[in-house]
Amino acid sequence: MNGPIPPIWTTGTTEAIRTGTWRAAIPRHVQAPSPCRQACPVNGDIATWIGLARERDFRGAFDALAQHNPFPAIAGRICHHPCEAACNRVGHDGALSICKLERFVGDAAISQGWAFDRPAVERTETVAIVGGGPAGLSAAYQLRRLGYAVTLYEARGELGGLMRHGIPSYRLSREVLDAEIARIVALGVDVRFNESPMTPDAWSALRSRHDAVFVATGAQKQKRLPGLDYAKPWVVDGAAWLAAANAGAPPKLGRRLVIIGGGSAALDAARSARRAGHEVTILSLEARAQMPAQHEEVDEAREEGIALRDAAMLVRATEDGDAVRLECTRVSFVPGAKRGQFTVAPVDGSTFAIHADAIVTSIGQDPDLAALPALPADGALVAVDAKQATPDGSTWAGGDVASMARFVTDAIGQGKRAAYAIDAALRARAGEPERVPGHRIGPPLALPRDEQVPLAAIATHYYAPQPRAADRKLDAVARLSSADEVQLGLDIEQALAETTRCFSCGTCIRCDTCVVVCPDLAVRRVDGGYQVLGDWCKGCGLCVKECPTGSMDMVDEAR
Amino acid sequence: MIKIDVPQEAMLCSGHAACPGCIAALSVRHILATMGPDTMAVIPPSCMAIIAGPQPMSSLKIPVYQPTLESSAAAASGLRRALDAQGKRDTQVLVLAGDGGTYDIGFQCLSSAAERNEDFLYICLDNEGYMNTGAQKSSSTPHFARTGSTPAGKTTRKKNLAEIMAAHGVPYVATASASHLKDLIAKVEKAKSIRGTRILTVLIPCLDGWGVPDDMGLTAARYAVESGAFPLFEIEDGTRYTLNVAQKTRPVSDYLALQRRYRGMAAQDVATLQGEIDAAWAKLVARSNEGRHEAIAVG
Amino acid sequence: MNTPTAVAAPSAQASATASAPDAARRKSSPAQSMLVTGNQAVAWGARLARPQVCPVYPITPQTPVLEQLTEFQADGEFDAEIITPESEHSVMSACIPASLAGVRVFTATASQGLLLMHELLHYASGARAPIVMANINRTVASPWAFWPDQTDSLAQRDTGWIQLYVESAQEALDSVIQCFRVAETVLVPAMINLDAFYVSHAMEAVDIPASADVDAYLPPFAPPHKLDTAKVESWGNVVSQEMFYRHRQAIEESMARVPQLLAEADRAWRERFGRGWGVVERYRCDGASAVVVTMGSMCGTARDAVDAMRADGHAVGLVKLRLFRPLPAEALRAALAGVRDAIVLDRNHSPGLGGILHQELKSALYGMAGAPRVHGLLAGVGGVNVPPRKIVEFVQAARERDPQPESVWVR
Repeated sequence: MNGPIPPIWTTGTTEAIRTGTWRAAIPRHVQAPSPCRQACPVNGDIATWIGLARERDFRGAFDALAQHNPFPAIAGRICHHPCEAACNRVGHDGALSICKLERFVGDAAISQGWAFDRPAVERTETVAIVGGGPAGLSAAYQLRRLGYAVTLYEARGELGGLMRHGIPSYRLSREVLDAEIARIVALGVDVRFNESPMTPDAWSALRSRHDAVFVATGAQKQKRLPGLDYAKPWVVDGAAWLAAANAGAPPKLGRRLVIIGGGSAALDAARSARRAGHEVTILSLEARAQMPAQHEEVDEAREEGIALRDAAMLVRATEDGDAVRLECTRVSFVPGAKRGQFTVAPVDGSTFAIHADAIVTSIGQDPDLAALPALPADGALVAVDAKQATPDGSTWAGGDVASMARFVTDAIGQGKRAAYAIDAALRARAGEPERVPGHRIGPPLALPRDEQVPLAAIATHYYAPQPRAADRKLDAVARLSSADEVQLGLDIEQALAETTRCFSCGTCIRCDTCVVVCPDLAVRRVDGGYQVLGDWCKGCGLCVKECPTGSMDMVDEAR
Repeated sequence: MIKIDVPQEAMLCSGHAACPGCIAALSVRHILATMGPDTMAVIPPSCMAIIAGPQPMSSLKIPVYQPTLESSAAAASGLRRALDAQGKRDTQVLVLAGDGGTYDIGFQCLSSAAERNEDFLYICLDNEGYMNTGAQKSSSTPHFARTGSTPAGKTTRKKNLAEIMAAHGVPYVATASASHLKDLIAKVEKAKSIRGTRILTVLIPCLDGWGVPDDMGLTAARYAVESGAFPLFEIEDGTRYTLNVAQKTRPVSDYLALQRRYRGMAAQDVATLQGEIDAAWAKLVARSNEGRHEAIAVG
Repeated sequence: MNTPTAVAAPSAQASATASAPDAARRKSSPAQSMLVTGNQAVAWGARLARPQVCPVYPITPQTPVLEQLTEFQADGEFDAEIITPESEHSVMSACIPASLAGVRVFTATASQGLLLMHELLHYASGARAPIVMANINRTVASPWAFWPDQTDSLAQRDTGWIQLYVESAQEALDSVIQCFRVAETVLVPAMINLDAFYVSHAMEAVDIPASADVDAYLPPFAPPHKLDTAKVESWGNVVSQEMFYRHRQAIEESMARVPQLLAEADRAWRERFGRGWGVVERYRCDGASAVVVTMGSMCGTARDAVDAMRADGHAVGLVKLRLFRPLPAEALRAALAGVRDAIVLDRNHSPGLGGILHQELKSALYGMAGAPRVHGLLAGVGGVNVPPRKIVEFVQAARERDPQPESVWVR
């Protein structure tokens, strides 16, 4: 006898069929580093803070930014922004204006008066920081947030170091500088002005008073051109001249100045001299594209009427009546393996002469190692390892004193790195477990992945071509008659538009694309993120291919 | 912003038998969600019929009737009238047919239903060939494409279904692609709001039949639209044309290069195809411009 | 220009008032006697059965059925959704899902139209859609002809449809309604066959039942499964071998109930309307040693021949096979018990086989103790006239010779 007749009308759904058994690989959500983050000297979580800014959560953006860098308004003005060169959007329609966005968020923080939270728990250990420049302040900030008592020794009467003495106000307004420094000091940093405890006695007293020391005294010693007689009144050290100019009292020199150097310091000197009424020519060993100064600085200098003789070397300077005659030759500049190393080859028959009233040399500075007798040297620098530790085990160093990476944000990053290393060492000494890096924002099931997100992982069709936010600058004529900042920030519309250009490489933005493009309805939303349903996912990879942020990848499955 | 707002209620179930990465399943997922639960589907033999599930299980959360291959529009007519007779005029009848069942064997009854202006939404899941039987040519297969029955490439052009159906004077004819999902959903919404015969042709890159990797279906669909090989447009009441993606942004060679069915195509043939696409595009642009002028004149 | 409202107009009226057939909406009609053709009688039967969907396509000699229905509708007497597709193929394609949606469906066709439906006939029975269809039996081309011949419908005998062959306009009307009752009980489609012109166009006085009486006889169609967004059941998904096998068994079980159900439906009809047609009719078969077995219009002439032979003292009768599918083998055996010669008159032709009824009857009687000798005569093929005197000759000739295994061409 036959059993019951099977239904010819449907009685159930295909959900009973586990099509997940078909697949050989399964997609997963990952958190992967963006190229900008990997290029960033402070390892800033750029995609995250831009994402928050895109949602108009500027406070959240500031907090995310400040996790790595307490100076967003400063960095947003003067950072050399290697993030932008690394930006995946370069291959689409131009790099994101990350630096200007950082400035926007930093300026918002200042204008809103946002302060840093004091540490939840105060620790008993104290850390001394020697030097109140970007590296020292960055370390002080990070250590205070971790709960350490911080005493900061500053040789001068004001904090800021190079940011104050080396960078003119038309590039970095003093209000911004003061505000961002004050915000750090307000965390409870004990600042000792006009103290430099580096003599042997002071040093050992310092070591006994504190559990750890971070030295960030900068590079104060001017490099000089060997063939030039600095005793002549018409030969001037650039840094000294610039410090005086930045303090509002540039030394009186003749009308025509030649500035020798191709870095930011040379450009700053040239532009400050121009503002003081000089006719200025820059003589740079490097060809224009090789100059260590940022391209914008060179452009702006040219706009301000500064002459540039690039790929050129001073051969000899002689007095010629009331003037100085500079005999020069064109050179071919070949950079060396390390920053600061190079070779030059004069180009035959390319000599030329310039007449000037004075020469300002701005060819770099070295740390004054003689003032740091307790610290072993590595060439012209204090010797440190990858964690900024000196060989003595309880002293760390960073910034220009220990690095040839002479950018402010490099110093900030080194300060952060040193602070983390000091924290790890002091926790180890106290028998405490290592600090787990803070939980990053993202889907709960997203796995951290070390591999950087390439442009190919971004579904770029989601991003209609949209030109990078136009830079806005003060008119060149207006610049010369004021001390106002040359670079202007983005307005809010520009900033918000720019945030939408961000590919958010490796940082999930919860756009639901992975859910929406799945033919098998095998990706679903879960609290705060997404889950791939292994019962039904067939492993086609469409969600990975279509992810606008490169936040998914496929992993093979062995069956 | 990238965030895609789509109808959330799932009307297609997991566990269906579509190939990994199937754009038909993906498209239908969104079509069904947009149509909502007060809908009945008519699905003739096709990949979609297989996707609909092995008895007694269904992947659709709406009633499905599977007619014979050639009779979808007639079956939809009968179903529609039965619903009308029961006073269920708001229940939508939705045909999900392949191109073989639409351009070829089902064309006669589709034309007839369109002439009668029967009240249903007919969606052709157009994968440009008999893909469920292993990739043979249909009258929707494009010029030069290789299939099992055109191993040296098809020697004639793809039938222009949209124009033919528009010539019936039906209220709504459109083309769509899951690569332009918002547009697809908007068209389904619009079609849903109209009474009478509505015909939507959705391009479905067939991964296996076209020779496209599993994760590249949407890319192929996007390239088809961007190259103008499959323009997105609407024709209302047989006369008013709208080009929804108004620019061609890439040469057809980009699109061809993604697919094995165009492998080894001679440069001269690529140029011929480009010429055909350009001419068809120019015609569409001219027609959509005519509509604009009229609108201005009326306005 | 086509507008949505243009199409909506006819049905908008129908559906404006109610979501289900509503007694108040239904036009009632009194019992009346009218002079109508077989085709008109079919249309009256359809009208009284109140189908809700009615797809039709014109074909000679069925066209008057279509025209009568559309006329009824124009007069407001028939509120089915009439669909006029481009072919019979689409007609049947529309019938099936309409039926599966839970409404009563009627259509009519003939000859080539029926053949064009062939694939869908299988489809309908497989879908258990109890559609009722009238088929006007007409020669099948080629060559072209328009004469009565039952090859068209007999060629559909394996499609899973109940098949009735009727003799008169009255029987046609009554059979349409009876068929709905049976078909909807077993969920199997039914076909009523009437010979071209002899029945379809011959006018006779027909009793048209009162609509209220038909309403009382024929309950509303209420299938256990249907296409309904509230039920979310689907039909047509691919099945396994085992499921297919079981499904065919289920159809067979339903088919097996049909002779009994038709007999009951006919008995109920006779009780209500005073006439019935049976499943297999025995006409003057008492004590008959020879019996003519045939279907459709030929029965009318055979009756005259039987009457003439009885008048001459010959023990000859007629067995009219009204229900051909399912073949009521038991009833045929009972009807032919004790008969020496069964003379089958086939108005159809299966090349290589002969007369289809001849073969069917032989198989029905196979193994029967004392089974009659079966003489198969290809008598009415192509619509040739078979007058009573010819039938008398055929019977006499058959009685005097041994039956041939194959059908014999006779004129």
